Amino acid sequence: MKLSLSWIKDYVELPEDADLKQLAYDLTMDTVEVEDVEYIGRRFDNMVVGVITAVNPHPNADKLRVCTVDLGEEEPKEIVCGGINLAVGMKVAVAVPGAMVRWHGEGEPVEIKKSKLRGVESYGMICASDEIGLGDLLPAKEEAEIVDLSAFDAPAGTPIADALDLNDVLLEIDNKSMTNRPDLWGHYGIAREIAALYKLPMKKIEPVAIDAKSDFKVEIADIDRCPRYIGVEMNGVCVKPSPFAMQSRIWRVGMRPINALVDITNYVMLATGNPTHAFDADNIKDHIVVRRAEEGENLLLLNGKELALCNDDLVITDAEGPVALAGVMGGAKDSILPKTTRVILEVANFESTGIRRTALRYDNRTEASSRYEKAIDPERCDQALALSLQYFREFYPELQIVGYCDRYEKKLERAEIDVNLDWLARRLGKHLTNEDIRAKLEILGFDVAIDGDNMHVIAPTWRSTGDISIKDDVMEEVARMYGYDHFEATPFETSFTGAINQKEIDLVRNIKEYLAIRCGMQEIYTYPWMNDVFVNAVMQSTDGMLRLSTPPAPDLSYLRSSLLPNLCEAVVKNERYFTEFSIFEEAQVFTDADYTSPYDATESLPKQRRNIAAAVASATKSVNELFREVKGALEYMPRYTHMESFTFRKDVKPVWADTVVWQNIYRGDVKIGDIGLVAKKVSMDCGIKNLTVLVFEIDTTLLKPLISRTNKFTHLAEYPTTDYDISMLFDSAATWEEIKAVIAIKENGPVKKADFVDEYRGKQIPAGKKSVTIRLTIGSNEKTLTSEEIENAAGSVMKQLSKRLGAELRTQ
Amino acid sequence: MKEQIESILAAAKERIAQAPDENELQKVRSEIVGKQGTLTMLLKELPKVDPAERPEMGKLLNLAKNQVTELIDEKRTDLKLKASEVSPDFDCSVPGVMPRNGGLHPITQMCYDLNDAFRSMGFEVFQEDDITSEMYAFDKLNFPQNHPARESMDTYWLEGHDNGPTNEKLCLRPHLTGGSVRYMQTHKPPYRFVYPGRVYRNETTDAHHERAFFQYEALIVDKDITFTSGKVLIKSILSKVFGTDVPVRMRSGFFPFVEPGFEIDMQCQVCGGKGCSVCKHVGWIEVMPGGSPHPNVLRAAGLDPDEYTGFYVNIGLDRLVMMRYGVDDVRLFHSGDLRFLSQFR
Repeated sequence: MKLSLSWIKDYVELPEDADLKQLAYDLTMDTVEVEDVEYIGRRFDNMVVGVITAVNPHPNADKLRVCTVDLGEEEPKEIVCGGINLAVGMKVAVAVPGAMVRWHGEGEPVEIKKSKLRGVESYGMICASDEIGLGDLLPAKEEAEIVDLSAFDAPAGTPIADALDLNDVLLEIDNKSMTNRPDLWGHYGIAREIAALYKLPMKKIEPVAIDAKSDFKVEIADIDRCPRYIGVEMNGVCVKPSPFAMQSRIWRVGMRPINALVDITNYVMLATGNPTHAFDADNIKDHIVVRRAEEGENLLLLNGKELALCNDDLVITDAEGPVALAGVMGGAKDSILPKTTRVILEVANFESTGIRRTALRYDNRTEASSRYEKAIDPERCDQALALSLQYFREFYPELQIVGYCDRYEKKLERAEIDVNLDWLARRLGKHLTNEDIRAKLEILGFDVAIDGDNMHVIAPTWRSTGDISIKDDVMEEVARMYGYDHFEATPFETSFTGAINQKEIDLVRNIKEYLAIRCGMQEIYTYPWMNDVFVNAVMQSTDGMLRLSTPPAPDLSYLRSSLLPNLCEAVVKNERYFTEFSIFEEAQVFTDADYTSPYDATESLPKQRRNIAAAVASATKSVNELFREVKGALEYMPRYTHMESFTFRKDVKPVWADTVVWQNIYRGDVKIGDIGLVAKKVSMDCGIKNLTVLVFEIDTTLLKPLISRTNKFTHLAEYPTTDYDISMLFDSAATWEEIKAVIAIKENGPVKKADFVDEYRGKQIPAGKKSVTIRLTIGSNEKTLTSEEIENAAGSVMKQLSKRLGAELRTQ
Repeated sequence: MKEQIESILAAAKERIAQAPDENELQKVRSEIVGKQGTLTMLLKELPKVDPAERPEMGKLLNLAKNQVTELIDEKRTDLKLKASEVSPDFDCSVPGVMPRNGGLHPITQMCYDLNDAFRSMGFEVFQEDDITSEMYAFDKLNFPQNHPARESMDTYWLEGHDNGPTNEKLCLRPHLTGGSVRYMQTHKPPYRFVYPGRVYRNETTDAHHERAFFQYEALIVDKDITFTSGKVLIKSILSKVFGTDVPVRMRSGFFPFVEPGFEIDMQCQVCGGKGCSVCKHVGWIEVMPGGSPHPNVLRAAGLDPDEYTGFYVNIGLDRLVMMRYGVDDVRLFHSGDLRFLSQFR
């Protein structure tokens, strides 16, 4: 919201030399955030009033003129201009070198320099209103029309800001910071706050009494939705421009002046925060009734929107039906027209949430509705009415008030709160004297009565629409008037009952650090929604997935039930720059299933798991190498991160996996995830070009951290052990698991360990066979084995492998 | 001849001892024991020697020859052991090889840094689910029905769960604070916990706005905590992140779930508070909201607000990470782009 300082000064006696930087700072610290302080006059630096003393044709251009312009200096200046309304004696706005203007009102501002225009020297620029940001205040009637300032009482050379009285300051306030302070919407409210902060006298808008005997009637059918409605019927008005001073203020704070009747209503809203409305009285049949709309009732709004109303909407009606959508917008039928001579002024109070519902329902939020929806106090109607009448009478000396009706059906109760002073001192962490507290509250308009330890506080009406309702609100008022910056930081005292022990939380961190640091993977984050392309490619079905009702884009609606689609998308993105990389992500996954109510019996939430998934991609490594790399990361993970170990077996093939290269991962009997090669078709559908991609995904909520480290110390071998490699030919389908099962390791036997070294299929190997190299670790707990004993131990392993699996020793 | 032999031998010994490299040794060998070597030439002159002395001279010559050869071999071994294994033009200025690729996301790193700091002060780390109900996203946080503040956080609702009473409407959480209520409901006071997590807002993205971003909430609830204690929480976070004490200020701010509520600003670390384009020339940067949990929020968590109070702050991790490294586009965090992520190790 933009506020004009000169306007604020109408209502509070702010000293002329007030430090604006300090004012903005104090408001920001104690009340609302001032985002910007702008000196309007600076927009018109290097712009002055010029008087045209001669207009001559341009020697080289038909559309241009060479004007001689008096700028209040000794010598007049020559300025080339293409304006269509140039005339001798006319007062114009001249931008001299250094001024910033927008050519033809478009684009970025550019600096004016002395220059030649089609061969003729031009000192500056004679401006159109939109070229110097005055398009809304002094609108041009046609294209290429120069702004005519002849009506302003300013001699040649007067700076434009002085001539138009624009040496004002704008305070720009962050609307979000005042959502809870409806009393501050408007210059009067901010003035009241400034008066309190600086203990300055207010220039109050006093209510006026109206004595109009007439049978003008207003009826309110729903007093909860319309606590107060004032209607004033006036004759002797007409549509004409309002005085420049009023137009200028409306324009400064960002609205557009229209005509005197509309300008008064907008001006009063900007001043008091209470919207008002003027109906053309000739279009209102009989009297006004404020009621709920009937289902399906029609209303054509001022902006041309045709609404089919519902029973929750509040409408202003006459004998024929709705004429306005209460608190939101007037109707087309009753609006001010050029021929209007009689008006009905509405100054009303409407309940906030109803206005909000209606404005949102028809997507029709207005300056009025955005104020009403914050909850305005009905007493404010008095100021709005007084100010309205002041201007009506000023602009229309012939004005006659022929009808008046103030229906104030539902008075606002001032909020009353008891505050225990001891509680207040404890919460503030500071003891203030009763007088100090009283003074801080009274200046804000509170009534305060202190009785022993209890303080009884009555909030002013303008703070009683919900803003102040509990004792904590009162505490906040005291604290902010004291100044938050004046409170020292107080350390908090706590008792320590034990060390923090959060195994599950720590496990996930351990795994992430393990993957990043030991396995050399890069952690990434992706969004919780997936692109349809990757959903289809990787998951192949959307069964059981949750979906957003208003997704970021139409093809991003499914919430991930697996991390793999987004991981594949990241692979595609990175394939542009890298030929080998490995990435992982840890995040929540969702399914439309297993609803539970862990916190509130009436709430029902889907089961949400947290997964970790990784992708290892390479354009050069073999599937075998990549598979072993990824599997190694998984196999060693439990040891390094202190959790129960994994086993691998083939039960159910993941949909995205190659038909051969995959395994399911188990912790005990619980399936916790999958590992596998991304199938060729999946890879292609994702748009992966040359990379071979191995992935795994595990559900971290199914992992079990160890309560303590469980491995035991093993005595160092007393006698040496020997590594003994054997290479044997196996049936090509024989698995390492089968081979390992045959080489049974006995604690007291000579064979201590059997490790897989590699396997080979190729030229020297007969078809249907493969060569597997196994490294045996052979030794004894009692003595150093002789080479014969070592050979025997290896021999018996080989014999077993031959007997049980038909393995043959490789002859070469 | 004997003198000749002795002098050649002495000179050879000297040359061998002084030989700096293999080349010199080769030279010594060829000049003394090679085909034209001095000792070899003497050997050729042996027939001219007096026959009586001949056997002795022959013996002496052979001895000398052998000795020179041995000395050369010894010296060669010696030179080899003392010399470098590589050629002297080995370039030590070439860069090293990176240990292993891989690393944590910069936001994870920031989060873990903060977790460590708060753990050391006895705070637990809390984690909650991303999908929540409107009841926990707004009702329990004292957002009145139909209040404009509900709109300030444009929420992603779930299809098929976007209508009906607030306990049935489900969404991706727009903030973390509803989860804090869940923590309080299931734990006994006093509370000291931090709660890192990702939140979601349905808005248009640009370099400074994201649809998914990370928050870090810290909450302390106990009997008689004044809101000024909150400054300690704030300072802990900022000094951990920036390594020095960063001046902070608390100013009036409105959030339905706190009373009183604050906007917390830190001194701009770019200009040191003098004012620059980063801080829009005010010297301060808004970093987090904070305040005492509203009595209605405490009630929703099952606590008596007359007995308990506390302090809460909620900091945007993306923003902090951006300030820490000078990142200028928040969207990079979710890009999965390794050119970006690999910079933070």
